[in-house]
Amino acid sequence: MIINGNELLRTALVGDVTSPVMGMNPYDVTADGVPFVSVGAGGICYTVRVGDSAGGWAADQVEPGASIANPDPAANEALLLYACVGNRVTVRTGAAAGAAGTVTGKHEAFHAYKHVLVHFDPDVLDALVPGDRLLVHACGRGMRIEDRPEIACHSLGPELWEAWAATGERLRVTRVLAPEVVGMGSGRVSGATSVALQTGADEALDGLRIGDLVAVRDWDATYITGYHEDRVTVGVVSTGDSPVLGNGPATTILLSGPAAAFDFEVDAGANLADLLDLG
Amino acid sequence: MSAPRLNTDRLVEVGVQAEVAHPSHSGTYSVDSYGRPIILPGMAGVVANARVGDLVFPWAADHLEPGVSAGNPQRDRYQALQFLACVGNVVRVLSGPAAGAEGRVTGKHAFVLVDFPQEALDMLAPGDTLLVRAVGQGLRFLDFEDVAARSCSPALVEGMGVEVSADGRLQVDVTAEVPAFMMGAGLGMSSEWANCDVMFTRREVVERLGFGDVRLGDVVAMHDQDHRYGRGYRAGMLAFGVVAHGGYGGVPGHGMGVATIFSGPRERFEIVRSPDANLRNHLELAA
Repeated sequence: MIINGNELLRTALVGDVTSPVMGMNPYDVTADGVPFVSVGAGGICYTVRVGDSAGGWAADQVEPGASIANPDPAANEALLLYACVGNRVTVRTGAAAGAAGTVTGKHEAFHAYKHVLVHFDPDVLDALVPGDRLLVHACGRGMRIEDRPEIACHSLGPELWEAWAATGERLRVTRVLAPEVVGMGSGRVSGATSVALQTGADEALDGLRIGDLVAVRDWDATYITGYHEDRVTVGVVSTGDSPVLGNGPATTILLSGPAAAFDFEVDAGANLADLLDLG
Repeated sequence: MSAPRLNTDRLVEVGVQAEVAHPSHSGTYSVDSYGRPIILPGMAGVVANARVGDLVFPWAADHLEPGVSAGNPQRDRYQALQFLACVGNVVRVLSGPAAGAEGRVTGKHAFVLVDFPQEALDMLAPGDTLLVRAVGQGLRFLDFEDVAARSCSPALVEGMGVEVSADGRLQVDVTAEVPAFMMGAGLGMSSEWANCDVMFTRREVVERLGFGDVRLGDVVAMHDQDHRYGRGYRAGMLAFGVVAHGGYGGVPGHGMGVATIFSGPRERFEIVRSPDANLRNHLELAA
């Protein structure tokens, strides 16, 4: 499959490494009604990396690696819309200046934050601090697949496309999921967001890893995310699981279109860590 | 058969100030489920010609909020209004030519939705102040510890005619039952905040699933939904709510809004299908 690679612009966007934020009352509530303190979103996570299990962490939607945002809300919207999974990132300031990273996903929390997630090698993560400025070499917005104009492309960088889908007619995903897995995230603008997978809603989610490529049937994200029979949406798992009802691993949207336009190969190894060689 | 025992005598009733909200707009088009750019009314202000008891779908509207949409321009006061107001609460108009008119809370969305008599609806304007006599948060079904009431006033439970059946279940009349895969925006949010959309944004889906006759204010059951501490999918759980907002032509992932009133394990309930399970009857709303 061929994309319109020579039509795509490469543009510069900046995001700063964030620091976690909290309200005065630190307690969220689990599905069973147990109060807990949310940890894992914002800042730098040294523990969890792309390729690790999405479940099993004492955390709420843990963001692997560095979590970045632009402090200007309108510029952050552009960062969220233009940054694509696979894009290269360069550290511009601080002790890690000059180091290279890779965009691995996006994460939106309702009425709270919108982050772009960046993978770095462990030694770079150790040197990064909140406030460090990163340059995202954004490319992918406007992508089309030749001969498949009915498929909408969203946060999909050409780097990931080349590694994942350029050769072969079948698209590798780790699993194809039922539509009721989608929790928080219905009705959001497809290109700038993530949607949560409710891990209790489909046994096929067992063993899910951050970075897994997944497909959801009867779900459309051509423009805005929502139920639509006979459509399929493909995304990449960007964060860990959540103890909050209706939430779960945040999944960044890559492709969406009529079910007939897709031919999947279920491959447990279809994960960003391998495809993008994230050490 | 008997009425369920409630802790009504332990609930406090609080006067909460609100005002009729003015519609606002981003100035850009949204996109509907057919991929068409749309600008449609429905949210905020006063909708005088679509009321609780009317059909949900035959309107050229998006997120149609029937009657009055009550908000508060101060963020912290707005949040208090959102969390404290319960379906069935009495609301009084404090200012403007409709002052003194009395209405009832009929649902929640981005605003608290209130039905008033038609005469008042024709006079009310954005900015008119309202007083909500909020009572209901903290309500418990004393013999059903694993059933959680959310934004449900004691008057609503009574008006709905909820009964405890001979085999010890809460018997609830509903007009429709919603399958879990149709639940959209609103999942993951607090049980008390706004509502949860059932993704009816295309006519063919409404017809295929047989929801064409559903009315604003209908009580519906939502299968495999746990709405006790937030809203989400859970096999074997059941949630009940009232249809708060409607309209076709909406944005994907949104649709018909259902405000949660109570939720618990499936086996605690007996669902009875009844075409009369609507707030217009349950709250005896004035014409």
